[in-house]
Amino acid sequence: MRSQSHRRGVPAWLGLGLVWAVPSAAAVLTLSQARAVVTVDGKSISKEVQLPYHWDRANPGQQGGAVFDIDFDLPQAHGGVWGIYLPRLGNAYELWLNGVKLQAHGEMVQQQGDTSVYNGADFGRVPRYITVDGGHMQSSNHLRIHIRADVGRRGGLAPVVIGPQTEVFPLYERDYRWRVTGSVAVVAFCFVVGLTALALWTTDAGVPDSTRSGRDPLFFFVAVAQLFWAVYVGDVLVEAPLLPWPWWGVVQVIALDVWGGSMALACMELTDWQSNTWVVRLRQGILWLMVMAPAASLWALSQGQPLVLTSWYVAYGGTLLVFILGFLWRAFGHANAEQRILAAAALVNIVVALRDIYVFRFDASYGANTWLRYSSVLFGLALGHVALMRFRATSAQLRGLLGTLATRVSEKEIALGETYARLEVLARQQERTAERGRILRNMHDGVGSHISSAMRQLQGSGSSDPATRDEVLLTLRDALDQLKLSIDSIHLVPGDVTALLANLRYRLGPRFMAMDIELHWDVDLLPVCKNLDAGAMNELQFMLFEAFSNVLQHARAHALRVEGHVIRLDGAERVFVRVVDDGCGFDPSIGQRKGLATMRERATAIGAQLRIRSEPGQSTVEIQLDV
Amino acid sequence: MWRVLIVEDDSQMRAFFAASVGRSPELLLVSSVATVAEAKAQFNSAAHGIDVLLIDLGLPDGSGLEVIRHARQRNPACEALVISMFGDEDNVLASIEAGALGYIHKDAAPDDIAKTILEMKGGASPISPMIARRVLSKYRSMQVSVPSAHIVAESIAIKSDALAAEKSILSPREQEVLELIARGFSYAEIADLKNLSVHTIQTHIKSLYGKLEVHSKMEAVLEATRMGLLPQQRLTESAR
Repeated sequence: MRSQSHRRGVPAWLGLGLVWAVPSAAAVLTLSQARAVVTVDGKSISKEVQLPYHWDRANPGQQGGAVFDIDFDLPQAHGGVWGIYLPRLGNAYELWLNGVKLQAHGEMVQQQGDTSVYNGADFGRVPRYITVDGGHMQSSNHLRIHIRADVGRRGGLAPVVIGPQTEVFPLYERDYRWRVTGSVAVVAFCFVVGLTALALWTTDAGVPDSTRSGRDPLFFFVAVAQLFWAVYVGDVLVEAPLLPWPWWGVVQVIALDVWGGSMALACMELTDWQSNTWVVRLRQGILWLMVMAPAASLWALSQGQPLVLTSWYVAYGGTLLVFILGFLWRAFGHANAEQRILAAAALVNIVVALRDIYVFRFDASYGANTWLRYSSVLFGLALGHVALMRFRATSAQLRGLLGTLATRVSEKEIALGETYARLEVLARQQERTAERGRILRNMHDGVGSHISSAMRQLQGSGSSDPATRDEVLLTLRDALDQLKLSIDSIHLVPGDVTALLANLRYRLGPRFMAMDIELHWDVDLLPVCKNLDAGAMNELQFMLFEAFSNVLQHARAHALRVEGHVIRLDGAERVFVRVVDDGCGFDPSIGQRKGLATMRERATAIGAQLRIRSEPGQSTVEIQLDV
Repeated sequence: MWRVLIVEDDSQMRAFFAASVGRSPELLLVSSVATVAEAKAQFNSAAHGIDVLLIDLGLPDGSGLEVIRHARQRNPACEALVISMFGDEDNVLASIEAGALGYIHKDAAPDDIAKTILEMKGGASPISPMIARRVLSKYRSMQVSVPSAHIVAESIAIKSDALAAEKSILSPREQEVLELIARGFSYAEIADLKNLSVHTIQTHIKSLYGKLEVHSKMEAVLEATRMGLLPQQRLTESAR
């Protein structure tokens, strides 16, 4: 170990520094002794200091500046490239080697009483490395470091490492990777977990018919904890605060505050302690302390009262510790796997936090890094895992419910299909029954009635009687015509009265011709009568056949007029069908034949209006139908 | 004198029709048989000697439609009348499509039977309103489907037949006449309404019967080709 003392041309008020150089390796020097001139409130004190110099511990609650002078000798030839590695210095600094300014970051106090430079950008967060050409190195060297230190921002100077670049740069690189690159990875991880949890929370619709119908608060607490922790850890990467002092400091305290509180609340969500009075009070306490954080930090930072913030830290940390210890006791006693995983993560974090508190509050090591930022990843992983497992369980539950729903819908569909099929079968059966009834009635009123009439006619007189023979022939012809009309009616389009009349004429026309009855056809193209279905068409056909048959058999007419027109009556269109003959006439009120009564029955059945007027020389059968 | 062949499996009915034909001096009964086989044999041996075929559809060894088609193939001049109990439209339409020109009811008077045959040979062709309606509906659907049928026809290289199908669709006058028949008007009344002669109306209907027969054949051939039952090169010959 060597010590050297050098005077250099520096401002007189800063004085001179005596430096002890401690070679840590053959070629690498770790400089841990310096002569410092410390200036606070315009008063400067010169003294020998041992590095690291921790400003906040040496000058609690005060801001100011210091100049460190370090002399060191180099034992051998000093060509090549050299490097100076500063694990921590700041908050702002300037660095000279042998009177040459090598690097400066941030604003320094230029004149006494200038306080505007304090609490600006903080350049003490990351390790520094300065490349020095071997030409600048001498056998005896003087290093001067001037710092500006803010209140409570970990200003100061760590031991300085000097040596050949090949030896020193890896030391710096390792420190940088550990403190900065590692922090970037932690921030990225926290953002991923936080945003995933936030997405799960925003898309969570709850599980119907279960104890939890709303969103799961666990997802929310995990999201908030991770995002705020990302802000807290990410601060190391931000040299220039995004908000003016002390607000940026308040933001950092809030980030730490919300992270701790959210973690505790997330753990509570995993327990069944919600109804426990003790836990309820603890929860209220945590929430109160969380709310107090902004005020406490603002007061402490703006008024230079670090004790206020320290008190809050103690109260908050103590409350959280009580809860976490209770959680650990519960988890390792008789809890489920989720709680045990979280408890293990919490235990690791407590240990790490205690280590960090010791290192930062009691230990002399000034340039050390916090471990909590890395150990918190374990907590993030554990909570993320629990949140994902819970989401999977919820999704599975929902899938199960949807599956049940689909099964029920499918069962209902099948039941509905079966009901429809049964109804269809019933409808077909009804249709068949109705059709059978219609055919039976036709057989009874038509063919059956005519054949029985023919038999009576044959029985009533001798078959050789020409008059009887003609009568029987006429009756049988009627029967056959009705049979043909019944067959034709199968193809009749429902409601098409024009086609029905045309077909009647076609079937009976030859008989009118044979009896020398002149036929006048006056049928328009009639609209479709929507109320006439197949059965009604059949009824109408029989009514008209009866009317024609009466003319053929009884009227002794010379002319027959058939009319089919559409007439507007009372604002509605109606189809009028008239059968008019010039025969001998009959008395419609007496009902001399069964046929007239049947016609009336059929008209009523299909909702048609039937009018029969008769006098010698003109008989009219008129049927009115709705369109 | 027209030479008549009767095909009817009911012996009483066959005898009645034979007697009815025999009563007319303008008709000569060539033979009266009871089966499809016998009827086909008649056409195979003396195809050109038969002018009129009176045929029942329900025969013991097959359908009368088969005999009608066979007769039309062997002797296109031979005209067929179907013997029908009811003259129902399904059977009548199938007969017309097979090549028949009308039908005679089984309950017709003997004089009416000869009269119907002679009217047919004189150019008459009766059609019922129900059949007219069915034909109108059939042709309307064909008019709608002709463009697509045309495309199909092109793809299987039978363009000439598709053109024949287009030509055979109803003329406006034929359509008008059919619509009036479907409304129940007689030929004479239609002739009055449209200032035509009854003979012209009959000609229209006879032409219509021919178209129905052509369409029936074409549909069968097209369907058979689509199903791969007929090679495409034979299509043109078959459709003619």
